[in-house]
Amino acid sequence: MLMSIVEIPVGPQHPALHEPIMLRVRLDGEEVVGVDVVTGYNHRGVEKLSESRTWVRNIYLFSRICGICNTVHQQAYVQGVEKLMDIEPPPRANYIRTIMMELERIHSHMIICAIMAEVIGFDSLFMLIMRDREVVMGLKELIAGNRVHADIHIFGGVKRDIDDKIRGTVLRKLVGIEERIKYYRKVFEEDFTIRKRLVDAGIIKYHEAIEHSLVGPTLRGSGVKSDVRADDPYAAYGEIPFNVITRDEGDSWARMLVRWDEALESVNIVRYALEHLPSGPAIPKTIKRAAPPGEVFSRAEAPRGELFYHIISKGGQNPYRVKVRTPSFNNIVNGVFAYRGAKLADVPVILTSFDPCISCTERVLVIDERRGVKKFIRLKELALLQR
Amino acid sequence: MLKLLKEIVSNVFKKPVTIEYPKIRPLPTDRLRGRQYPDLRKCIGCSLCFIDCPSNAIKMEKLPKQLPHNKRGIFPVIDYGKCLFCYQCVFVCPAKAYVVTTEYELAGAELENSEQLSLKTLSRTSQQEQSS
Repeated sequence: MLMSIVEIPVGPQHPALHEPIMLRVRLDGEEVVGVDVVTGYNHRGVEKLSESRTWVRNIYLFSRICGICNTVHQQAYVQGVEKLMDIEPPPRANYIRTIMMELERIHSHMIICAIMAEVIGFDSLFMLIMRDREVVMGLKELIAGNRVHADIHIFGGVKRDIDDKIRGTVLRKLVGIEERIKYYRKVFEEDFTIRKRLVDAGIIKYHEAIEHSLVGPTLRGSGVKSDVRADDPYAAYGEIPFNVITRDEGDSWARMLVRWDEALESVNIVRYALEHLPSGPAIPKTIKRAAPPGEVFSRAEAPRGELFYHIISKGGQNPYRVKVRTPSFNNIVNGVFAYRGAKLADVPVILTSFDPCISCTERVLVIDERRGVKKFIRLKELALLQR
Repeated sequence: MLKLLKEIVSNVFKKPVTIEYPKIRPLPTDRLRGRQYPDLRKCIGCSLCFIDCPSNAIKMEKLPKQLPHNKRGIFPVIDYGKCLFCYQCVFVCPAKAYVVTTEYELAGAELENSEQLSLKTLSRTSQQEQSS
């Protein structure tokens, strides 16, 4: 008898998160035998757009690739261009940048854990985490001036400085935040419902995670100790002591617990940075507007994993090419093997455990729909088309 | 699970975290990036904010009258429908001419720009001159 395989589309409307992506799930009964990822619903052409804009204008363009990890996008772009322009940001500016990035990591990890609670049907926990996340957003507003988009980076420093009053407020509020994060971590670790849904869902083994080049908490949840902050320190991470969190289980539950532990580690980093904030200027007096010809690679650890920028300059006021490789791109597209063998009801849980950010991912897709033919274009042909 | 139940039950008796927005307005911090406009008594018309604006929200318009400190005779007008409130204009201004506020309720039926707010700063000078 022939096996009947059924294909079920999950998404593109609200697959698990409120972002458009489609998973074509092939099922044998309840069991998943294969998944195809279909993207392209959120393509905006950011990379092409950046080529026609000045270096300074692009700071704000790249921070808008992703709403949640905007500061780290700015950091990766700004540190790359600073390398190109040969500018060294002052230590105080580096510390303020680090504080902003870590606050962002805390609220990013909190929101994905809240969404995970919502996906598994635990809405009261979702509400509670979102309530406490608002305190972190408030701190971001206090330092940078906006809840979401910090927009604090500029070539050679930051746009706003921190005074002692703000430092005291942030340190005071961190105590409450830490207490709540510890509480939620305990809930995720011990709660019967959460364990029932997350443990053994979407197991990724140590060697599989490396083979498929996964990044971020997804990689560290499989026991691989890899973190750009520790491996290739940027901003002030070289001077701040912190632990790289790993877990050996490799399932969805381990990935969520890695996030909670990292959030706790981030609280410690922010506290250390505020207590050891160097004195001196942080705001640059002038901004450079032109870069010499050259090519730089720049990477940073976004809440979702390694973020990579490749910037090419041919001199002048505009970049020649900026290539962005975001962590979600690796995790969503390369992580499809994790669904195999799972039940259909586990698919949204596994997708959420990767912490996918769709708007991050979709800048690189080429669609040729004039004749209704689907075609994959090689990079060389694409370069010829552009001319 | 029991522990979480305790938390949930205790929240029933607490004051709600959410606020009834139009009746009660959230208090922004004094560093919130709200509506900003150029003060024409300080603006020198250098157009740096126009050059750096990431969303092309700033246009340089002709001044209604010649000002001694503004040799070029132009001033920036911000289209608030396009503005991102990134404050690059405030940061880059060499004359520190931008007035910053924490006003965040900018939604309305009509398209707004900063022209009238900027021109008002000019009449403020003439009134002060008259009184002195």
